[in-house]
Amino acid sequence: MCAIVDVNVSHEVFGSNRPEAGEKFFQRLNSGSLHLVVSRKLLAELTYGKAQKWIQQGILAGTVRLEATGSVDRNEKELTRVGKCISNDAHIIALAQISGARLLYSNDIALHENFGNKSLIDKPRGKVYSTNRRKDFTSAQENLLNNRNLCRSR
Amino acid sequence: MQPVRHGNVIVVRKGIVMDEIRLKDYRCFREDQTARLAPLTLLVGENSTGKTSFLAIVRALWDLAFSHTVPDFKEEPYDLGSFDEIAHYRGGGGGKAERFLAEFRATTPSTRRMSKKLVSQKFGATFTKIGTTPYPVGRRFGSDDCWIEEYIEKNHAYIINVKTSRGSWEKRLDLDIEERPMIDERRIPPIILFEMALAFGENREEELGFKPLGDSPAFGPDDYETLRRFPWYDLSEFRVRPFASAPVRSKPRRTYDPSRPTRDPEGDYVPMYLADVFTRRKKEWTELKRRLQEFGKAAGLFDDISIKRLGQRDSAPFQIQIRKSGDKLKGPLRNLIDVGYGVSQALWVITELLRPDSPPLFLLQQPEVHLHPSAQAALGSLFCQIASSERQLIIETHSDHLLDRVRMDVRDGRGTLKPEDVSILFFERNELDVHIHSLRIDGEGNVLNAPDSYRRFFMEETARSLGL
Repeated sequence: MCAIVDVNVSHEVFGSNRPEAGEKFFQRLNSGSLHLVVSRKLLAELTYGKAQKWIQQGILAGTVRLEATGSVDRNEKELTRVGKCISNDAHIIALAQISGARLLYSNDIALHENFGNKSLIDKPRGKVYSTNRRKDFTSAQENLLNNRNLCRSR
Repeated sequence: MQPVRHGNVIVVRKGIVMDEIRLKDYRCFREDQTARLAPLTLLVGENSTGKTSFLAIVRALWDLAFSHTVPDFKEEPYDLGSFDEIAHYRGGGGGKAERFLAEFRATTPSTRRMSKKLVSQKFGATFTKIGTTPYPVGRRFGSDDCWIEEYIEKNHAYIINVKTSRGSWEKRLDLDIEERPMIDERRIPPIILFEMALAFGENREEELGFKPLGDSPAFGPDDYETLRRFPWYDLSEFRVRPFASAPVRSKPRRTYDPSRPTRDPEGDYVPMYLADVFTRRKKEWTELKRRLQEFGKAAGLFDDISIKRLGQRDSAPFQIQIRKSGDKLKGPLRNLIDVGYGVSQALWVITELLRPDSPPLFLLQQPEVHLHPSAQAALGSLFCQIASSERQLIIETHSDHLLDRVRMDVRDGRGTLKPEDVSILFFERNELDVHIHSLRIDGEGNVLNAPDSYRRFFMEETARSLGL
């Protein structure tokens, strides 16, 4: 299963004082049952040091996938051109389209809406993992982490 | 292809790249498994997982297939011992395997004139215990849909099987096998070649005496012609052995006495070789010096290298001198023994890689030893520049820096290597056995097909270091 972590929650996954939901998410990443997908743009935006270090090591270990810049950039430009993205994170939608990742950890409401938009992300539909309402680990979140179909085959 | 001199022999270098190795019951490799090879192949994994054994079998197969010699499994730098140490130990009541199998697949340009076609070839051997040593008792030469196989049966019958696109045939030969129950290295290529050469007249294919197997038709002129064109025969003159380096290399000396530069795994000969080129082949020395210095600068090891003769004659002793300069100031020339140990240790390997008559296959054990991480990374870049469809490097390494530099250079297009030209073989131990995982990298430098266990140690250390 592949996932994308938004910059605004990277401290919840890789920080020292993580909420339970973030810690469980990290445990899945660290065990290799959940694979992180990143783009160069997302990596550049990710200024949280611990996240950067872990991701760089994950790229070497083959547990984090760095997507090709060209194809993600092209999709982002197209999304921006047609104006379908209401959030300012079109590159995350583009990254999901290219990589096949269908699980997003983010607390950005506008991005949630885009990620769940069938016309942008489909087969399978995108799902959102968020701590906007609760910081503890809910059964809904557990179901998301146990869902093995949240990745489109490439 | 270009003619190169090796000792007293002029040979035509043919670009052979092994694509795949298959092993069964050899050392710690019990299961029948294949590993993908590429122009640049990096062997990684914990200690005692069979990486050196892997290098040893590559050389053994090369010797048997191309040099027509029975492999010496005790030859340095891979002294594997006798058959009992080499055949897989199954554990419990399983005991030792009675035979082990090794095979490779290679791609070579056709040696036929006007042909640019790549030819796929397979070679395999089965070894058993004769006396105390492993000896080949079966060989199989294959190319596309054609193969020739010869083996000794347990009742000492000597069998030749051949197969073409039309069918397969068998012949039993009455050799003096009571005295020599093994494949005779002097009969390489297989005895069928000699028989074909001896066959004479209009019905040559009938003279060979092959009996059809299964529903195969009678062995006919087309099959004879297919076997006559069998590409293995073209390789029978391949004489350049792989270069195999030891993980420990010879200590530098203050002064060297000239002697004949004969290759050895620890690089004792390298100072003699450098002095010989310096003295006798000025043009070659200029180019070699330039390339050595280019690497020396990239690795931060040295900026200048020179040979100092301590007399007028060629037979006079000599020293190897190294200069390291600052950004503005030029440093003094210093004896190799007076600079960091890593310089001399790396110099032996990079000289062999950069010399113009270097062999087509390198088998290197931990070339990074004694080097600073920046120099280890530079070594990775050098490998990316040198590996090609004509020169294959198979490297056992524990260096993250080397591996990561290769990954980045391929990603960034520095050099000519493409992602498919790199293979990472991850050796993973499970009880008494080892499984080889063939990993690839893609255009973004991602490591593909990695099992969860790959680099698990590093991920755990990173998580711990970050307090996660």
